[in-house]
Amino acid sequence: MFKGFDSKRRGILSTFLGFGILLPQTSASIAFETSQSTTINDPAPGFDELWHTVMVDISVMGVIFAAITIYFMFKYRRKHPDQVGDAPKMSAAQAVGWALIPAFIFMADDFYLAAKGWQLWNKFREVPADRMEVKLESGMYSWDYTYPNGVRTQNKLRVPAGKPIMLRMTSRDTIHSHYLAKYRVKEDSMPGRVTYLWFYPKEEDIGDRDNLVTCTEYCGVMHSYMVGRVEVMPAVEFMRWYKQEESKLSQNNNNAEDNSTATATNIILEQEV
Amino acid sequence: MAEDTATHEDHWDTSSAPLTISVGILFLCLAFIFYFVYDSGMAAIISLGIGTPLIIGGIVIWVNEAIGEEGEGLSVPSMGWFILAEAMIFMSLFANYWLQRLMTPDWPPAGTPAEMPVLIPVIMTILLVTSSFTIHIGEDKLANDDKAGFIKWLVISILLGTAFLGMSLFEWVHLVGIGFDVTTNVYSTSFYSITGFHASHVLVGLCIFIAILIPALSNRTNIGLVKTGALYWHFVDIIWFFVVSQVYFW
Amino acid sequence: MGKVLKEWIFTTDHKRVGILYLIGSIAAFCLAGIMALLIRAELTYIGPTITNDPNTYNVWLYFHGAAMILGFQIPALTGFMANYFIPLMIGAKDVAFPRLNAFSVWLFFMGIVLALLTFVVPDPPDVMWTGYPPYSVITTGNTALYTFTVLLIGFASIIAGVNFLTTISFMRAPGMGWNKLNIFVWATGAGFIIQLIFVPVLGTAVLLIAFDKYLGTNFFDTTTGGDVLTYQNLFWFYSHPAVYVIFLPFMAIIFEIVATFSKNMVFNYKVVVYGGIFGIVLVSGEVWVHHLFVTGMPDWIRIGQMVTTLLISVPVGLMVIGLVGTMYKGAIDLSKTPMQYAMGFIFLFLIGGLTGIPNAIPSLDLHISDTYFIVGHFHYVMAVAGTFAIFAGVYYIFPKMSGRMYNETIGKIGFWLSFIGTNVAFWTQMEMGLEGMPRRYYDYAHLPQFESDQMVMTVGSILIGIGFILALGNWIHGAIWGEKAPDNPWGSNSLEWTTTTPPPHGNWPEIPTVDADWHPYNYKKS
Ligand code: HEA
Ligand code: HEA
Ligand code: CUA
Ligand SMILES: [Cu+2]
Repeated sequence: MFKGFDSKRRGILSTFLGFGILLPQTSASIAFETSQSTTINDPAPGFDELWHTVMVDISVMGVIFAAITIYFMFKYRRKHPDQVGDAPKMSAAQAVGWALIPAFIFMADDFYLAAKGWQLWNKFREVPADRMEVKLESGMYSWDYTYPNGVRTQNKLRVPAGKPIMLRMTSRDTIHSHYLAKYRVKEDSMPGRVTYLWFYPKEEDIGDRDNLVTCTEYCGVMHSYMVGRVEVMPAVEFMRWYKQEESKLSQNNNNAEDNSTATATNIILEQEV
Repeated sequence: MAEDTATHEDHWDTSSAPLTISVGILFLCLAFIFYFVYDSGMAAIISLGIGTPLIIGGIVIWVNEAIGEEGEGLSVPSMGWFILAEAMIFMSLFANYWLQRLMTPDWPPAGTPAEMPVLIPVIMTILLVTSSFTIHIGEDKLANDDKAGFIKWLVISILLGTAFLGMSLFEWVHLVGIGFDVTTNVYSTSFYSITGFHASHVLVGLCIFIAILIPALSNRTNIGLVKTGALYWHFVDIIWFFVVSQVYFW
Repeated sequence: MGKVLKEWIFTTDHKRVGILYLIGSIAAFCLAGIMALLIRAELTYIGPTITNDPNTYNVWLYFHGAAMILGFQIPALTGFMANYFIPLMIGAKDVAFPRLNAFSVWLFFMGIVLALLTFVVPDPPDVMWTGYPPYSVITTGNTALYTFTVLLIGFASIIAGVNFLTTISFMRAPGMGWNKLNIFVWATGAGFIIQLIFVPVLGTAVLLIAFDKYLGTNFFDTTTGGDVLTYQNLFWFYSHPAVYVIFLPFMAIIFEIVATFSKNMVFNYKVVVYGGIFGIVLVSGEVWVHHLFVTGMPDWIRIGQMVTTLLISVPVGLMVIGLVGTMYKGAIDLSKTPMQYAMGFIFLFLIGGLTGIPNAIPSLDLHISDTYFIVGHFHYVMAVAGTFAIFAGVYYIFPKMSGRMYNETIGKIGFWLSFIGTNVAFWTQMEMGLEGMPRRYYDYAHLPQFESDQMVMTVGSILIGIGFILALGNWIHGAIWGEKAPDNPWGSNSLEWTTTTPPPHGNWPEIPTVDADWHPYNYKKS
């Protein structure tokens, strides 16, 4: 199942506990390294890296504060009932220093994380030009995909390995959210607006039965059963299926306009194969 | 809790008004729910019949208790805080309206009558602004201990406010008559909700004035209450400028 | 008897209004807690466990979320605690408008009554506590109940805000300057400013849903040019600041407790107040889009609000430094239950607050948004850290309020059970979220890998529940059978402990005056 997390399942959050700091660079970024693919700027491994960074970052913060608290708790125990606190009076300079220095440290950290986050965000937003665009219309309770050549599928997104897929999404009733846990991405689909997301299926995703599409926006009674599957196929096999469906489609309606759009996209896909 | 230990204390202040009004409001909510959710007009009317007297009765008790008290002098600054909250209601309605307006390619959307009323809103503006002045005069009279003058100007303000509401109503009836109602399009939705919200504030302001007027007739007034009511009225007046400029003349 | 009853339900005294608030909010907490246990029972195993109808589950979840936030935490903090503490802390006989105060508590109770109708009406509301359209408009559930619950409780807190801000501004004891206010007074006042600015927006949002559903308006109807995201923007424009309405008072009550049990001056008082508390007020209104990171808002606003959201760690961090610093060279007494809760709070809040950081980064939120990770985040920070603070506050004020002592042993057992249970339950929940468990799921048949974690969570929540029940039982027992409490059991320096126990009507025979070197946290003068 979630290959990216399997190896470090308990690792990632326990980094946060503070243990993880002792063994820096766990397997966080290893998971995706096998996909040494061309020029596609896949954000998913970037997610795992940034996640790790953030976890280390907040663990350091948390551990410092927790450690000081525990230290004070034991160091300054009340010895006799009448004892009162003995905090030294702060001078104005000290008071300001205790405000500004931590504030700037926190701010520095925030901007560091923000910059990292923005960088990764751009990856999520820069959709590769060499992509396949699939339309998605969600409804209570199914995911309905329409391929460039007009082929439609429901709850099953077949994609060729090695080709970035972009979904242009809308909804016919309530808000849904198309969540691809494996590709670390989700985006809402809603009536009246078109949203998009993209992901990059790879060779090693072929045959993954747990490559699920789940719905993560509450959309009604059957919200938890609104599940689809991403089926990553070898490119050749995908083309075979794609053509086959297309010819079925044109048999069904011998409409000239349909065909012309279909052939246009065929060309693009064939170049790739 | 711990009643026994408080025995040396024989008297706790009480007032039955808050609970009465709250229960009344609960019944108003129930009336809405019965009517719109469960299609039960009968139950709705019964709830209204229970709720409305409770609210009015509660207000009467409240005003009677409050008016005799010396210096609720803090009520004027507190009205400032309340106005902040009220202003935010209008802010969110306007924000919604502006966003929708800017996102819609062709405005006004289909279904809007070719000519929206122009004259009526102008007259309404004049009425409301005048009433702001008249209530201010009334306030001055009261400060100079001229009770009769105060009542006169208060009544004038109430009449102006009522005329304003009447014209609003007239205009709505007219617009609905030519097929422009809340469901028509996004503009009508915003139009009625913004003018409606404003009208409801005028109504509340009038209720405050009436709650001041009735005891004033038997010579019981409370300057704090009057000032607070007047402040609220000025606020309602100012909001109207936004309503009229954004909703009618933009 | 009749007189006693009358003096309670018609009371306008701030202490009794406060206790009424406490009763109402604890009732909401118990019911919502039972819902939580039902939710846990349902999720323990794959497939239908205790109900076959997903809608039943959804109604539980709706009630759990709405009642916990609107019925329990906000009223317990800005209702009960504000009422009980603020006039006593500033040395006033009562609030500025006692009748308005009583009106606010009864409106709140009417809101609770409406919320309870959820269990008796046909087609109960199932819109979750967020009530997003278009679902809330097209559902057969009774959305009006949601709208009115929110409206009544919202209006109650607006008038409470007006009341308390006036009280704090004008009714301080002679000699009490602004810089001698308790942190709690500052923070709650700031919370009320937030309420006044933002609650009306929430009220408008939920009212517009009712209009759309029942009057046929077009606010959120896309077929006639409406927009579904408007609601989410309005809703979170309030509901993010609302978490600071919860956060500010609960953090502040921990300040009071830590200062009292350390007998120490609050560390860097002015920075905590002017930098921390008002820093939060300043930033709180500019971050709501972090709840809309996955809705396709324009990029610039997502990135912009990532930065503002991250920057919230600065004022919050200053407050945490103030809190921990207060212990520095203190005379810390860890043996009392309120202080134990306060210490537990610090750790839970650190975990909860810091897990807000990854949420705030949109590129990470794309994965974890609307998963159990988020649910874990806010249960740490709000559900347990907040509840711990409320419990700590109740334990702290208990002797003054009831005139009796609670049982320390039971108090501590309760604390430890819920502290352990919390970490078992909600840590596991975050793990699940990270691995892709979506929230608001009645069933997870296609995600069987989570079954063992769900079971662990259920065990954890039972521990929390037992701990909480022990605390509740302890109070009831203490209020009736506890031994008599002295006037100032904790040896605090703050004004609320100078009256007799329990405080009489009017609080002091004579309004206290404070002199120049008095400060609520100044223990050293002697
Ligand atoms: C009391 C309640 C409370 C509080 C205080 C917070 C505090 C914070 N929350 Fe949380 N949040 C909720 C209650 C709360 N939250 C709820 C209820 C939801 C879900 C609603 C729903 O969808 O149903 C939610 C959801 C939520 C989301 C939306 C996620 C999503 O739906 O996709 C985000 C995203 O940014 C977020 C972020 C934060 C941040 C950054 C803080 C910060 O304020 C935290 C600041 C604190 C610290 C950072 C720790 C202490 C500071 C230091 C030790 C200083 C040093 C640290 C650094 C420099 C990093 N929260
Ligand atoms: C302050 C807020 C608060 C608090 C305290 C809690 C407390 C708890 N919550 Fe809650 N929770 C929310 C706020 C809160 N929650 C919100 C806002 C949501 C989101 C809703 C949404 O998605 O819309 C949520 C959602 C939520 C979920 C997500 C469900 C889903 O997405 O499918 C779960 C799942 O486990 C859960 C569990 C728990 C548990 C186990 C507790 C435990 O800590 C509870 C422990 C308490 C008890 C067990 C009560 C003990 C008392 C009694 C039993 C009384 C006995 C009776 C008498 C004495 C008369 N909560
Ligand atoms: Cu579709 Cu949830
Ligand atoms: Cu938020």
